[in-house]
Amino acid sequence: MTRPPPTAALAGFVSCGTCGLLCRPAEAGKPGECPRCGEPLAFRLPESIERTWAYVVAAAVCYLPANLLPVMTTTTIKATTESTILSGVIHFYTTGSWFLALIVLVASVIIPLGKLGALAYLLVTVMRRSTGRPLERARLFRMLKAIGRWSMLDVFVVMFVVALVRFEPFMSVVPGPGVPFFAAVVILTILAADAFDPRLIWDPAGKTGGTGG
Amino acid sequence: MAEDSGLPNVPVPEAEIAPKRRLPISVVWFIPLLAALAGVGVAVQQYLAEGPAIQISFRSGEGVEAGKTTIKYKDIEIGQVTGVRLSEDYTRILVTAKMEKSVEKLLGSDAKFWIVKPRVTLSGISGIGTLLSGNFIRFEPGTSRVPGREFTGLETPPAVTQDLPGREYRLRADTLGSLGVGSPVYYRRLSVGQVISSALAPDGRSVEIRIFLNAPYDKFVSSGTRFWEASGVDVTAGVDGFTVQTESFLSLVIGGIAFETPPSLEGYHPVPDNAVFLLAADRTAALSPQEGEADPYALHFDEQLRGLSVGAPVNFMGLQVGEVTGIRLEFDPATESVGTRVDIVAFPYRFLRDMKKAGPYAKKELPPGKRRELMQRQVVGKGLRAQLRSGSLLSGQLYVALDYFPDAPQAMIDWSGKPPRFPTVPGETTVLRATLSSILAKIDNVPITEIGKETKEAIASLDRTLRLLEGETLPEAKKSFATLDRTLSRVDSEIVPEARKALEELRRASAAAERALKDADEMLLAPDAAGRQELLDALRETARAAQAVRLLADSLERNPSAVIRGRKPEKPR
Ligand SMILES: [Zn+2]
Repeated sequence: MTRPPPTAALAGFVSCGTCGLLCRPAEAGKPGECPRCGEPLAFRLPESIERTWAYVVAAAVCYLPANLLPVMTTTTIKATTESTILSGVIHFYTTGSWFLALIVLVASVIIPLGKLGALAYLLVTVMRRSTGRPLERARLFRMLKAIGRWSMLDVFVVMFVVALVRFEPFMSVVPGPGVPFFAAVVILTILAADAFDPRLIWDPAGKTGGTGG
Repeated sequence: MAEDSGLPNVPVPEAEIAPKRRLPISVVWFIPLLAALAGVGVAVQQYLAEGPAIQISFRSGEGVEAGKTTIKYKDIEIGQVTGVRLSEDYTRILVTAKMEKSVEKLLGSDAKFWIVKPRVTLSGISGIGTLLSGNFIRFEPGTSRVPGREFTGLETPPAVTQDLPGREYRLRADTLGSLGVGSPVYYRRLSVGQVISSALAPDGRSVEIRIFLNAPYDKFVSSGTRFWEASGVDVTAGVDGFTVQTESFLSLVIGGIAFETPPSLEGYHPVPDNAVFLLAADRTAALSPQEGEADPYALHFDEQLRGLSVGAPVNFMGLQVGEVTGIRLEFDPATESVGTRVDIVAFPYRFLRDMKKAGPYAKKELPPGKRRELMQRQVVGKGLRAQLRSGSLLSGQLYVALDYFPDAPQAMIDWSGKPPRFPTVPGETTVLRATLSSILAKIDNVPITEIGKETKEAIASLDRTLRLLEGETLPEAKKSFATLDRTLSRVDSEIVPEARKALEELRRASAAAERALKDADEMLLAPDAAGRQELLDALRETARAAQAVRLLADSLERNPSAVIRGRKPEKPR
């Protein structure tokens, strides 16, 4: 293996995560606090893998009720209908709006699931100190970060509909218990992506000893 | 630390030492724990809120759709249809529904379900909401404590819901008339209940109508209460003109029932739920004494039945105690002749009731044997007979009268006949007819032609005599006074007996005519009948003529010379 590219950690420096000040760690094991802003210093995000896992597990737990519980209760004079995400997809599909069905399916079912899968993949590869395809994994991570904030699409749609459709007593739409779980899935995956330290992807590439404890 | 990493030798600040504080496990794991708890919590809540699933079978699933049709109780949604399918034998519709947890206790095995669709009846429009929302299933909790999960839906909504206080009664009627489910029941013209169902009695002979009276009006029903059909108008012609009576305009259109307790029957014991009452056709019939059982009888009349119709009344002392149910010819094998037979039903209670000492309604039923005995005693002991009578001379309508004929020949009710044969006496019309024909025969017998002939002869002979007197006697008298005596003696011996004879004939004729007239008078001939007047005039004329003849004859008899010398003051001969 060739000589690894220099990193701050390899050079024996640590950068403050908040103000960006480059410091010398106080000790090898305990980097100490930033002398400028007082932020605890770390070579890598603290407990990144553990925290990311926790968020991923939490999101996965919420994913189930988010899809099983109704997200919308539509009350018309004729009847009261509770719809889950999947029944909405099926409804769109059977009524011919396959494009809408596809959008909802992708945005609400596949993307959250994909995010969870991707995060789990990144975590597993990092934990196994895998050196393969680090560039692709880095791209994957960037993508996760990018789509994160747009995953609230369903919650948005539900809230819009609830706010707009109020023709009582003829028709009203009430958010179902699935909505908070759906929001939780989105938020937890964003948190998981934030908790993940992408530098860990690259660490196994170099024989670094400065990864801290 | 290493400083030969190729970085420009710039002063890098030294990090500060921070106190170490770490938990053995990261706090972050509380998040999935929390999520799991929330998920499990919601799942448990969903499970606990899950109401029972039920199945209802209907004859038709009109307007029932899975996922759309709701089940309502007191207009609140308490369940939703989750599936509709045909039963295995394809005869019914099976509706599965998910009920709300909160109504689980109401789902007794006798709970009722029915499909509500808009119903437009004359008494109002119901289920109008279904026009907008579509049909729904209404639920009515049962009283049973046994929980039920499979129900048979009602085809028609129950008219009265269970939470309405009141009572049900049953009415028996000949026909349903214009009554229908929902027809009002009136008490003093106040709508206090309604008809909830009607069905043919099992024997097919009557209609049973179930009514529901709202509390507190149900307490006005006692064993003496009478019900009648209040449909239509009751027009009565009385001394003060026409009286139009109807319960309400609504009852005119959709029919109705009214009830009342006659003051004489008030205070009788209350009746239980579902007590049976008779439904009379109108108020008069309802308030007239009740018949109890009707006894059929056959009557045989040897007379014309023209004017008698089915339904004609059977009267006793002018009060109706029955009616004619049939009129027909009957072959009598014994005499090989065809006679007439009139079938009647008589309500013996109308006149037997007071014979027993019990109160009129305390004990309604006499044993049949006792009833027969009482009737037979009336027939044998008192001479109770049936007779045809003319209800009106104008229309010629006949009715059957039961009356006492103590002089009638002995007779008994023939119980062996089916129906029993009731003895009869000849009708009034028969008697009248016989009297009339005897009067006619008498008039026929009056020798009017002979009387006329005799009178004519008498007058002719008188004329002859007078002419003889004028032509022969007068000149003679002039000539000879002596022949006068002879002439006079001739008048005496020839004319006077002749005139007397004529007079006698006349007197006889007029007496006969007078007698005939007197008979006719007695025989109910109208006093102003044209024929009678003519006859009377003729007879009077005859009498007057006869009187004139008699005066003349008398005058001649007393003073025969007046023929010759004219009238002179009388002097003894
Ligand atoms: Zn800093």
